[in-house]
Amino acid sequence: MRPSRQQLQDALKSLRDPSLRYADVRYTATHNQHVRVRNGEVDTLISTVDSAIGVRVLVGNGWGFAASSDVNEDSVIRTAKRALEVAAASNLASPGKIVLSDVQPHVATWQSDFVKDPWAIPLERKIDHLLQATEPMRSDPRIHQASGDISSYRQEKIFASTVGSYIEQTTTEMGGGIEALAIDGDEFQRRTFPNPFGGDFQAAGWEFIEALDLAAKGLQIRDEALALLAAPKAPPGRFDLVVGTSQLALQVHESCGHPTELDRAMGLEISLAGGSFLQPSMLGNFRYGSDLVNIVADATVAKSIGSFAFDDDGVPAQRFPLIDRGIFVDYLSGRDTAPAIGRKSNGTVRAESAARIPIIRMTNINLEPGTTPLEEIIADTKRGIFVDTNKSWSIDDVRLNFQFGCEVAWEIDHGRLGRLLRNPVYGGTTPDFWRSCDAVGDRASWQIWGVPNCGKGDPMQTMRVAHGAPVARFRNVEMF
Amino acid sequence: MKFDVIDRALEAAGGDEADANFISSDANITRFANSSIIQNMSEVSAELTLRVVIDSAIGVASTTSFEHEAIAEMAAVAREAARHSLPLRDFAGLYRGNEAVPDLPIFHRADITPGEKARALRTMFDRGREAGVHFAGSYGTDTASVACGNSHGVRRHCTFTIGEATVIAIRCGESGYATDISRRGVDVRVLGEEATQKATLRSGIHEKIEQGNYDAIVEPAAIAEVLEWMNMIAFSGQSYEDGSSFFVDHLGKRVVGTNFTLTDDAIDPEFLPFPFDMEGLPKRRVTLIENGIARTPVVDKAYADRLGVPATANGWALGSPDHGSALHLSVTAGNATREDLIQSTKRGIWVTRFNYVNGLLEPKTAKMTGTTRDGTFLIRDGEVVARLPNLRWTQSMVEAFSRIEGLTRERRRTGAWSNPFGGTIAPTMKIGGWHFG
Repeated sequence: MRPSRQQLQDALKSLRDPSLRYADVRYTATHNQHVRVRNGEVDTLISTVDSAIGVRVLVGNGWGFAASSDVNEDSVIRTAKRALEVAAASNLASPGKIVLSDVQPHVATWQSDFVKDPWAIPLERKIDHLLQATEPMRSDPRIHQASGDISSYRQEKIFASTVGSYIEQTTTEMGGGIEALAIDGDEFQRRTFPNPFGGDFQAAGWEFIEALDLAAKGLQIRDEALALLAAPKAPPGRFDLVVGTSQLALQVHESCGHPTELDRAMGLEISLAGGSFLQPSMLGNFRYGSDLVNIVADATVAKSIGSFAFDDDGVPAQRFPLIDRGIFVDYLSGRDTAPAIGRKSNGTVRAESAARIPIIRMTNINLEPGTTPLEEIIADTKRGIFVDTNKSWSIDDVRLNFQFGCEVAWEIDHGRLGRLLRNPVYGGTTPDFWRSCDAVGDRASWQIWGVPNCGKGDPMQTMRVAHGAPVARFRNVEMF
Repeated sequence: MKFDVIDRALEAAGGDEADANFISSDANITRFANSSIIQNMSEVSAELTLRVVIDSAIGVASTTSFEHEAIAEMAAVAREAARHSLPLRDFAGLYRGNEAVPDLPIFHRADITPGEKARALRTMFDRGREAGVHFAGSYGTDTASVACGNSHGVRRHCTFTIGEATVIAIRCGESGYATDISRRGVDVRVLGEEATQKATLRSGIHEKIEQGNYDAIVEPAAIAEVLEWMNMIAFSGQSYEDGSSFFVDHLGKRVVGTNFTLTDDAIDPEFLPFPFDMEGLPKRRVTLIENGIARTPVVDKAYADRLGVPATANGWALGSPDHGSALHLSVTAGNATREDLIQSTKRGIWVTRFNYVNGLLEPKTAKMTGTTRDGTFLIRDGEVVARLPNLRWTQSMVEAFSRIEGLTRERRRTGAWSNPFGGTIAPTMKIGGWHFG
């Protein structure tokens, strides 16, 4: 049962503590549907509806948060009371004066756009869509698994705060993709389209799945998976590396998105997610990348799953640079962290649902397109390797030392794409890598990729973020 | 009353067969950093999941609302899904056995008030200041009830407790780590002392090493992280069925060293006991690797039928595509002490913990990569001589577990965010030729 505006405001009014400085109450109803076909079977068909209420209070210098999956009126009041009790405990070992940056009250309603409602598409149509894409892939016995996924997501969210805000937001998303897994003896290769781990995701409806045209790609990834079984291993050594848009999006996520989270830089996430090599003293003066590297946080991109109208502090969505012509210029921040660096929140605090506490999360963290067409980048590369589509990812706890494996690679020999290569793995340290960037692809190669499973926090919260990236070239990168 | 929601869900299910889970939880977690409480949370939650089977095809739905209409709507969604799904090959139906489940010590009063937790943390913070360290970490307690049942009359219920804490001590950029998880609760102050010892060991003495192969003394928390990956890429029913697991074609054959035995052990009272899986099967000790020989993957009921292997009671989520997951990984102990392992090492590296391991590099050999963190030390001539920076490593676990040179008698428990029912218990291992680089 969706609580009324009056019920949420009553919950805020019930918070009677003379030291109360701020409070908000959130309600979410999150609908998920996941269809997975695998080798001609429906392997997974799950629909979930999770409702939650969450109350966050700042009493003195202690935060308290309480949540419940029971969203009836009495439960909301009880949850608010528990939040006060928890805050009282926090004050026994508080971090000192907590300062919140200013925010204006907002009363607003927002929803993401879609053309064809995901829940209006019959299940059999989704299943048929995946079977048509995956069944032809099974024609070779070395294909041990042909699978496909279609996911539908909708979250209704209400936010009310003691600042005076009352904000309703609804996000509708779909995602889809296919996968071919080829095995020959001890050799194992996986190819996916358009991305691994469920495919690509967009704030859109069924029209997004139709546009992916999965059926047209099935045989292509089958053939690539089979060809990879016999392809030579990508050679170790130092090469000029051309990174495809899908893999570069992941590189941005791990080596720019996470280290620019201010809570990480302040040591607040160090026990689980880790810290950041980007320290506040580096703001405005640290050369993160070459002059060609411009990375923005933009929560206003249309149809992207990292977009919204207001964050869970009630701060409006914004676009701002993180890396400007190679220089580190800003963090992702929230109301209670931005004052530590003398700034105001830039609106990046979100929670997975009302059952979780809001923390700093990426929005759409995008590497801006350059001016060089992909063909020119390849033609201009004498001895290199082109890699794309992430297979494995690992980076250290301050986001410096990384190693990424990709599904596929091609050698570049005197300006031309050559042989297919299997198991490409590259690594380095974040600033060295981005400083070696000497070509950034134009807008034609730029694409935004939805990432619905960014993990952070304790309890773990998976957040829906996205990354725009073109292709780009990096000089003298180590391959393993 | 404890089966009321389950009974109502099964009544609403329709279909040929159905089973349901009802999980409720009162979870409290306090996060701290810079020796202050930074997040303090209390969550009361409940969720009902229903699986409906029609002509061997399955549909699953869940809800957090338990009124009559909400359950009826959930059942209709699950039924609709089952009608449009396709029959699972070789599926012989839901569990019918209804054998007794083991009687295990799963409930202790692990839940303490937020105020008690804060006072314990404040004591730890004060002790840390005396040692010049500050702390980060989390301290959580959870009391949860699980009920499950099916249309064949199976009914299971239990209430269990979890206490868990992770502590990192930090001084001048040097850090140490300690963790524990238990049904009985944990003493965060003891963990604070352990983390402080690690953070201050060989303080200020730093060396660097060249990339290469080294003998590694790997502590239980690090072992736990690689085993969690192996659970996904090698032990699950899905990875066995699709051919990507290194168990494929090797059951009954030696795959790693004879001194490595791994079980899925939910009945060990000293670990994190739990009496049944979510399909209602009684838990038992399942041997995955016995003295180096691969024995069985872990499976849910559907994949036990499909693969023709005995049911292992590892269906932890109705409709999950992993088709079996080992959530109580237990490595058999050896007879050494950690000091024995260090003293026997001419030149090696002592690892407290790994960071951001990824096991998808080459699943057929369980080749993984990650980095070390929160206490990496150089051993020379049997002594810990210096702190090392965090190191990248890339290593096949099949090879690593073939080169175990020693195991400690003491084993430690480690939890994982993705595992609400169990964790890993492992000794410290000495492994020859671990590749750092």
